[in-house]
Amino acid sequence: MTLLLKQLFGLLRLLNSDTGTNQIAAGLACGLILGFAPMLSLQGMLVFLCMFLFRIQIGAALISAVLFALIAWLFDPVSHAIGATILETVSLQPLFTTLYNLPLVPLTRFYNSVVMGAGVLSILLAPLVFFGSKRLIVLYREKVVARFKQSPFWKLWSGTLFFKWYTSYEKFHG
Amino acid sequence: MDKPADSKKPVKKQGALRIEAVVPMLIVVGLIVLYFSLFFDAHLRRGLEYGATQANGAEVNIGRLQTSVFKASMLIGDVQMTDPMQPMQNRVQIDEVRFRMLWDALLRGKVMIDEAIIEDVQIDTVRKRAGKVLPPSPPQSGPSASDKMLATMKDEFSGNVVGDLAAIAAGANPSEQLHKISGELKSDVYLAEMQRSMDETEQNWKVRMAALPRGEDFSALRTRLSQVDLKGVKDVSQVHTSVKELQAIRDEFEAKSKPIGEAGSGLSGDLKGLQTSFAGLDDVVRADVRDLQARMKLPTLDAGNLSQALFGMDVLNKLQQARGYMDQARQYMPAKGAQQQAKPAPRNIHKGRDYAFGHAKGYPAFWLRRAMVTSTLPGGKGLSGEIRDAATDQALVGRPMVATLKGDFPQQGVTGIKAELIVDHTKQEPVERMELSVARYGVAGRSLVNSPSVTLGFAKAAAAAGFTAELRGEQVAIHASNQFREVAFETTAQSPVVREMMNASLAGLNTVSMDARVRGTWGDLDWNLSTNLGDALARGMKRYLQEKMNEARKKIQAQVDQRIAAQRQKLMAHRSELESRLKSALAEKQAQVDKLRADLEAARRDLEQRKNAATDAQKQKLKQDANQLLDKWRK
Repeated sequence: MTLLLKQLFGLLRLLNSDTGTNQIAAGLACGLILGFAPMLSLQGMLVFLCMFLFRIQIGAALISAVLFALIAWLFDPVSHAIGATILETVSLQPLFTTLYNLPLVPLTRFYNSVVMGAGVLSILLAPLVFFGSKRLIVLYREKVVARFKQSPFWKLWSGTLFFKWYTSYEKFHG
Repeated sequence: MDKPADSKKPVKKQGALRIEAVVPMLIVVGLIVLYFSLFFDAHLRRGLEYGATQANGAEVNIGRLQTSVFKASMLIGDVQMTDPMQPMQNRVQIDEVRFRMLWDALLRGKVMIDEAIIEDVQIDTVRKRAGKVLPPSPPQSGPSASDKMLATMKDEFSGNVVGDLAAIAAGANPSEQLHKISGELKSDVYLAEMQRSMDETEQNWKVRMAALPRGEDFSALRTRLSQVDLKGVKDVSQVHTSVKELQAIRDEFEAKSKPIGEAGSGLSGDLKGLQTSFAGLDDVVRADVRDLQARMKLPTLDAGNLSQALFGMDVLNKLQQARGYMDQARQYMPAKGAQQQAKPAPRNIHKGRDYAFGHAKGYPAFWLRRAMVTSTLPGGKGLSGEIRDAATDQALVGRPMVATLKGDFPQQGVTGIKAELIVDHTKQEPVERMELSVARYGVAGRSLVNSPSVTLGFAKAAAAAGFTAELRGEQVAIHASNQFREVAFETTAQSPVVREMMNASLAGLNTVSMDARVRGTWGDLDWNLSTNLGDALARGMKRYLQEKMNEARKKIQAQVDQRIAAQRQKLMAHRSELESRLKSALAEKQAQVDKLRADLEAARRDLEQRKNAATDAQKQKLKQDANQLLDKWRK
C-alpha cells in the first residue's frame, strides 16, 4: 500500500513538475494495454515487467489500467466482433495454428475473440495515447499549473514555513 | 568567500532502465513463491469445490489438496459429492485422486494428464452433515421441446392412479362429485357456438330469400309471353320477329331463375353443415365425459396405466439423468464442428469465444489419456475400471472417451456391477452409449404408492437391474429393466375392503419385473413400460372395482347428456323448422320457375310448328307459281 501511495504521489509530483512527460505518457500507454488485456495473462505480465524494468510511471499505469479496463469491458462486444473476424480470416489460419501450438504463446489467450479484439485495439491505440497524453500533459502544465502558481493562494502557501521545510526535505531525501 | 552559484543539489540524469527496481521485483517474486507455498493449495481447493458443486448441483467437499509446481502434479483427497436427492448421502466418495500434468502441454496452455489414479471409490456413503443442494438453474431461454415433453410425462406419471382406485374401492362415490362440477363444459361452449351459427345462417337466408325474384317477376314474364303472336304467323319474317321476342323472354327468365337454382344448392350445403355440427356434438360430449373422469380422478383399470404409475417416475428420472449427463458431455466435449458453430450467448459476450487451432500432433485444451479406478476391499472384493481419452476435442485426439467399471460395493450390498460408457464425439453427430448391469442389490423400504387411501412398497427385495442407452444426435433409445426377487410387500390401507383387495392382488407374487423402452427424439418420445405388478393389480382390482367404475362412467355420461339435452333438443327443433321453412319457400319459387319454363318450351314448340307450316306453305306457293309460269311458257 505504501509503495502504491508513493507511486501515486510520484505521479502528482511529476505531473506538476517540468520533467517526466515521457514517463507519464508511457505509463498511460502501458495502462491501456494492461486494461485491455485479461487480468492473468502473459502479455499482462510482460507489461508489468516492462513497467518495473524501464522508467515508466507506475502510478499512471495503474490508474489508467483501471480506467481502461472499464472502457474495455464496455467495448467487449466490439472487441468480440473484431477478434472473431481476425481469428476467422482464412489466410491467417496457418499462422494461428503455429502460434496455438507453440509453447508460451497460447498463454496470451490470443485464440479468444475478446482477447484478440481488445489486444489489437490496445496496440493500435497505444501510440495515440502515448503522443496524445504527452501533448495533454504539456498543455496542462502551461494552462493549469502555471496559472495556479500565479494564484494568491499558491503564493501564500509557498511562503509558509511548512512549505519551505518540505521543499528542503525533498531536496535532501527525494 | 566564494559562494556556489547554485545551491541546488545537482540533478543526476537517470537512464531509461530502472536499476533500483531489482530489489522490489525480487520482493514481488518472493511474495509469489510464498503465496504458492502457503496459500495456493487452499485457494485452489476452494475453487475446485465451488466448480464441482456447480457441476454436481449439490455440495462437493475436498478434504485435502496438494500441488507441486515443479512436478506439475496434484493430489486430491477425500472427495465427497453430495447426492442432490438425498443431502445426507454422498453420491460418490473418493479417497484419493493423483495425477501429473505434462509441462510441455502446460506451457502451451493445455492440460494433459498421461495417467491418473483414482483410489477407493464408494457410492451412497453417509455424510456427517447434510450437503447443501443448489436450486435448479433457470433455463437460459424458454423451455425446449424436450423440456416440455419431459414435463408432460412428469405430470402424467406423478398421478396417483392406484391411490385413486383404492379410494373408489374404499367407498368413494365418484358420481356424487358431479354435482360439484362448476364452470362450463366443452359441450356448453359448443352448443352456444352452434346456436350462434344457426342464427347467423337464418339471418343470411332471410336476406338471400328476400333478394330472390318474386312471383310478380315471373307473372310479368308470363304476360309478355302471352303477348307474343304465335297464331297469326303467316310467313318467315313474322316467325323471325316472334323468335326474337321469345329469346328475349327466355334470357330474362334464365337470369331470374338462376339465383333460385343456386339458392337451392346453397341451402342443401348449409343444412348439411348444420347436420355435421350435430354429429360433432357427440365427439365433444365424449371429450367432456373423459375430462370429467380425469377431473374426478376416475382412472382406467388398465395394466399399462398402473405400470406407468408404479415405475414411470423411476424411468423418467433415469431419462432425465441421462439427458443431464449428455448435455454436459456435449458442452465440455463438443462434437466435431460443433465448437465452430457455437456462438457466444449474449450474457457471455464478455467471455468471448475460444477458437481451437489444433493440428494432428497438438494437444486439446484438456486430455486425460488414462485414469485407473481402483478400490480394493478386504476379501479381494472391490472395484476396478478405467477411463480413457477424456478430451475436450475428440476430433483432434481421434478417439472416443471410453469408461469401464466392474466390481462390487459390498458395503452397500451392491454386487456384479458392469458398466461401459462410450462418448463418441469424433464425428459431427455426437453419440453416447451406455451399458450398465447390476447383478444384485438390496432394496428396503421402497415406496411405490403413497396415497391417503393406500400405501404400497417393497419392504425388502433383492434386485437386479439392466440399463442400456444410446443417444445419437437427437435420437434416444433407452431400455431399462429391473427384477425384484424375494419380494416382501408392505401395504397399508384404512379400509378393510382395500386391504383385502390389495392382499388378493399381490397374493403369490414374489418376483416383480419391470421392462421399459423409450424411443424417439427428445421432443417426441414413445414409451413402453410394462410390469407384472401392474398386471396383477389390474386383475385383482378389476374384480372389486369394475362394476363401480362402469356405474360411475354411466352416471357421468347421463349427467352430461342431461345437462345438454334441452339445448340440443331446442337446437334440433330450430334446425328442422328452419329447414322446412326455407325449403318450402324455395320450392314455391322453383314451381313458378318450372311452370314458366314449361310455358316457354310449349311456345317454342308451337312456333317451331308454325314456322315449318309457313315454310311449307311458301314452298307450295312457289311451286304452284313456277308451274303456272311453265304452263304459260309451254302454251
